[in-house]
Amino acid sequence: MEWRHRHLFDLDDWTREDIERVLALTSEIEGILNDGGKALPSLKGKTLVNFFLESSTRTRVSFEIAAKLLGMGVINWAAASSSMAVKGESLKDTLWTLESMGVDVVVVRSSWVGAPQYMARKLRRARVINAGDGTHAHPTQALLDIYTAWKRFGSLEGKRVLIAGDILQSRVARSDIIGFKKMGSEVIISGPGNMVPLNYKALGVRYEPDFAKAVRESDIIYLLRVQKERWQVNAIPSDYEYHLSFGCSEETLREARGCAVVMHPGPINRGVEIASEVADGDKSLILEQVRNGVLVRAALLYLYLGGDA
Amino acid sequence: MILLKGVRVFDGEHLREGLFDILVEGKKIERIAPKGSLSLGDGVKVIDLEGKIACPGFIDIHVHLREPGGEWREEIKSGALAAYYGGFTTIVAMPNTNPPIDSPELVRFVKLTGESVKGARVLPSGSLSKGREGKELTEMRRMVNEGAVLFTEDGSPTVRTDLLRSAMLYLKDLGVRVMEHPEDPYLSENGQVNEGRVSALSGLKGIPSSSELIDVERCIILSRELDVPIHITHVSTKEAINAIRKAKEEGVKVTCDVTPHHLTLDEEKVLESGFDPVYKVRPPLRTREDIEALWEAIKNGVVDAIATDHAPYHVDEKDLPFEDASSGIASLECAVAVILDAWDRRGRSIPLEKILRLFTSGPAKVLPERYRGLGYLREGGIADITVIDIDRVSVVDVSLWRSKARLTPWNGLSLKGWPVLTLVEGELIQ
Repeated sequence: MEWRHRHLFDLDDWTREDIERVLALTSEIEGILNDGGKALPSLKGKTLVNFFLESSTRTRVSFEIAAKLLGMGVINWAAASSSMAVKGESLKDTLWTLESMGVDVVVVRSSWVGAPQYMARKLRRARVINAGDGTHAHPTQALLDIYTAWKRFGSLEGKRVLIAGDILQSRVARSDIIGFKKMGSEVIISGPGNMVPLNYKALGVRYEPDFAKAVRESDIIYLLRVQKERWQVNAIPSDYEYHLSFGCSEETLREARGCAVVMHPGPINRGVEIASEVADGDKSLILEQVRNGVLVRAALLYLYLGGDA
Repeated sequence: MILLKGVRVFDGEHLREGLFDILVEGKKIERIAPKGSLSLGDGVKVIDLEGKIACPGFIDIHVHLREPGGEWREEIKSGALAAYYGGFTTIVAMPNTNPPIDSPELVRFVKLTGESVKGARVLPSGSLSKGREGKELTEMRRMVNEGAVLFTEDGSPTVRTDLLRSAMLYLKDLGVRVMEHPEDPYLSENGQVNEGRVSALSGLKGIPSSSELIDVERCIILSRELDVPIHITHVSTKEAINAIRKAKEEGVKVTCDVTPHHLTLDEEKVLESGFDPVYKVRPPLRTREDIEALWEAIKNGVVDAIATDHAPYHVDEKDLPFEDASSGIASLECAVAVILDAWDRRGRSIPLEKILRLFTSGPAKVLPERYRGLGYLREGGIADITVIDIDRVSVVDVSLWRSKARLTPWNGLSLKGWPVLTLVEGELIQ
């Protein structure tokens, strides 16, 4: 069955069936890898460019490993030493140059909301995968989060997902809200009032200002990093005050449901949104998320680049 | 001599009953007489405009002509011609150029350049502060003598309230007013879209309605206290327009304009278009509710003028990822059609006179006394005439524009109601 999406901007135009197809394919890839990886599907001859205009460790490396698992060529385009940064080449010309050299998929990370859509309007043949556009969306993160939670719980129907912290500026929160809701989960958000969009209801979520209460009621506790680099004024007076009210400590977690898990997109700030004991504790799925990121991205590359799974 | 034959006449306030012939001689309107009643000599160029509406030449008090210092975006020459083809006979050039129009010499430069090019009459406005730095008043009296018709920090608000208050008092006896771009600079910093549904869904930084309202209320407070008029440009929110309505009811001398884009496009366009930068503008596109409030204000006579805030950019500065693109909408050559089309789509429920005043006597009243006559069509007056056809349907094609702008939200759209003939001081430009 052909994959109906040409580019990946966000999950808002996906159906639940689309997500389930990614989950199934990811699971299949995981199984093959556990058996030694010989039967992996191949995208040999295809080339991926990691087009990262903003810093990243896990997403970029994750796409690179995923592409290599499928036998793809990978180019890590370096923003800082590019003609764009140094010689004033436009984004449009840079893209056309890369495309002319035969790139099949552009994985883009940018601080500009809408950069992937812009790039897709300019590219003639290559596919675009959004690896995070500013404060807007991060769909591959959401898919790896959903995969991780799905593996743990079997079904996400009726599960309650708490997303806590800097919702206002979080592309992860936006994509995860869309994705988990499509899978039948209920999403609640928590955080100080100045980190929550005024119109949060447009996101289809409930706001619970009492973080400890929200933790008690949830199956998945998803913590976000406080994105200080994006703030105009200091939205939190101190890390310590934030930690006391909205940080997940062992003590907060003690009240949580027995089955509850803790997730975080990384990078984590220990002692701010998450205590070290929680990050390294037995409820934490953080490293599993990172591991699954490779698998989910491999599945996505396969779907987008014309494999028929 | 030119005879506009068989037109309906909108005189600046009212649409008169019956059909008329308008005889233009030189720069003046010689006669406005019932159709067929004039006996014509030789050498009269007769233009048959049966049933079309002749209005005082349209006035746009908010246009960015980008000269000096931004000629790749627009020039006085291209902008004046674009305005003419858009049906405008008088435009006010904004002073946020490079350098800004902050001296008598620069006011004279704009004035003289405007006089040397074909198209609409170009009136300069002056920067309120030297260098647009928001610190010291410019030489406003000398600038008025050179032809400055408004003073503004447009592009930005007048940040310091003491400077704004001082400027208003300084201008009090000159009959020239301040035009304020209403915004709280801190609330709107880095803002990309309206704060609301779209900012919540997209993560784009929102500019709240309060950013506009705070400045509008500040202007009203000062105007009331000093008893000095002030003009507030590009009002975009329900809250701000309601504050202006209340102030007007109370007798405060505040005037305002709204733009064609804030009257017709809402914030959802940003999402629907996949973040197309043609919809990036400041103040941002607001909600359907705001649009309704602005039309309601037009109906109730709260709005004094429609002004385009024509903000042309080169395609290389505009055709970029949304957050990286420049803010501004170019509309000079389709603005009248955008409004007439919207009026038509709304069932023509607002009397046409009320719409036409916003292009004529309304903006004329914002200008200094000596320009007030431009807002009226009368015998002996200057022959600035815009003839409109409210039933003409035509497609916007930005590639044919005289403006240097090559992007506009309405490109490719079919609009109903267009200017069909324009005279500036009795002259038809071919």
